[in-house]
Amino acid sequence: MIYRRRPTPLHAARAAAACAYLGSLLLVALLFEHPLVLAADLVAVLGVIVLARATPALRTFGPLALSLALLIALVNPFVVREGLTVIARLGELGPLGRLDLTLEATVYGGVLGLRAAVLILAFVPYSTAVDPDGVLRLFRRFGFRSALSATLATRMVGVLARDARRRADAQRCRPRPAGRLAMTRAVTAGALDRAIDVAATLEVRGYGAAGRRPPGTRTPWSRHDLAYLAAGMLIAATAIAARAAGLAALRPYPTLELSTGPLVWALAGLIVVAAWLPFADRRGVAA
Amino acid sequence: MIHRALLAAACALLLGGCGVGPGDATKGVDARVTDDFGARVVGAAAAEETRGEETVMRFLQRSFDVTTAYGGGFVQSIDGVRGQGEGGSVDWFYYVNGIEAPKGAASTRLFPGDRVWWDRHRWEAAMHIPAVVGSWPEPFRRGSGGERYPVRLECASGADTACRTVQGRLAAAGVTAGRAGLGSSAGRDVLRLVVGPWAQIRGDAALNQIGRGAAASGVFARPAASGDTLSVLNRAGRPARTLGAGAGLIAATRLGEQQPTWAVTGTDARGTLAAARALGTRTLRDRFALALDPAGRPVPLPAR
Repeated sequence: MIYRRRPTPLHAARAAAACAYLGSLLLVALLFEHPLVLAADLVAVLGVIVLARATPALRTFGPLALSLALLIALVNPFVVREGLTVIARLGELGPLGRLDLTLEATVYGGVLGLRAAVLILAFVPYSTAVDPDGVLRLFRRFGFRSALSATLATRMVGVLARDARRRADAQRCRPRPAGRLAMTRAVTAGALDRAIDVAATLEVRGYGAAGRRPPGTRTPWSRHDLAYLAAGMLIAATAIAARAAGLAALRPYPTLELSTGPLVWALAGLIVVAAWLPFADRRGVAA
Repeated sequence: MIHRALLAAACALLLGGCGVGPGDATKGVDARVTDDFGARVVGAAAAEETRGEETVMRFLQRSFDVTTAYGGGFVQSIDGVRGQGEGGSVDWFYYVNGIEAPKGAASTRLFPGDRVWWDRHRWEAAMHIPAVVGSWPEPFRRGSGGERYPVRLECASGADTACRTVQGRLAAAGVTAGRAGLGSSAGRDVLRLVVGPWAQIRGDAALNQIGRGAAASGVFARPAASGDTLSVLNRAGRPARTLGAGAGLIAATRLGEQQPTWAVTGTDARGTLAAARALGTRTLRDRFALALDPAGRPVPLPAR
């Protein structure tokens, strides 16, 4: 998956704001096990994917998230011996011993699956709508060379993928496929050529000056930056406060105990609304 | 072909005790929870009828505040009393009808009348305590794993009074026991009570383990080879006291896959008779094994 600039508010936001915003959605999934809160977080993330025009990426990550969620949901009741409400008795299963499927382990398996799906899907807008160079720039002050290497590596993935496709096309045009040695030689020579090109380009642009960093540019915070940062902080602060207050608690074992009430619904609603609200302002976003 | 295979699988599942829902209720089960080899009672619970087929773990969780580890298979704490877990040497152990269970509590099914005993204790001196006497008159009345086993009383010559006393106590508990002489061959599935002075019964293969110490037998008492004295051991498996003439011992152990063998013995005939007379729910409750000093006073094992 490659980041591509699109005309959406999330793309327009700077990496720091977008990371804080998406990080808050991840935080909700990590802090809570309550199915309603996780479902709200999932709805919020799916909405973000649609609003950030990242739906094509769902073709790759959607089935992955769904299959992993289902796997976790199915495996949990078979490996966890907790819970008091037996829904099926599978008898003695050799070394596994006696196996009783309980409602609590089944429900908690679903909760864990839901959480896994949210965590995976939250990275879809991150991969497609957050500028990776912007993210790496955030870390430049901590490790300039590492950030530079990571930036180059990210860029080189696409270049090398295109190289591989061209090489495959060339292979198909040959009456007989080349041997492994010839292929290895071609791949190595290609990689070295690319490396020399990159080194020369960096030299020309002044990266060769020992220890000297290129000057950074300060850009003022846009309304999108502020909107996503505010939304992220609101979600994170509310989630932390709710967790500290014991709101939306789930105790899966030995019997399922789920806190309900208007505050839980309010928390769920706030997560969705706060996550979607920054997309309402499309001013300054090129169509 | 596929239909037949599915039908066969369904039959196998049904015969293997499978089904939908909680299953049939189990009647008359109870659980005791103690600490430090039965020295302190943490709690007790009883159920006229459970909510369905019950495992030891589920019954415990319904009755007490339990925390578990390793996916619910290992008990960490009961009513706030914690085992030390990995790296420690104090943990929770359980016995069903006085027999150490070979499986985890989540895999052990409860049967009608089962008596479950959970105890948290130090296991350095004896990793396995295969049988305990604290659930008397179990396992003689209900057996184990839902199966009742024949009970055989093996009496040493000259221990007739003690033997009759033991038989009377069994009968009072509703247990009919067959009688046999010492050294009679026993199958795997016979519950045995061997009665007589130690010097006479020590040749029994199962009881011989008691003479080898707590690590071998799980019994915190070690009669001298001559049978004249009885060393009562502390939690570390070291001698705490030595009892002389007139001392008695009630202990249970197990040889391999055999059902438990109980010893009602003493340093002499007087001690053996004292041990036989001590057989009873009140004296044996929460005891892993029980010694009797020459004055007939009970000494719970391991000794303090």
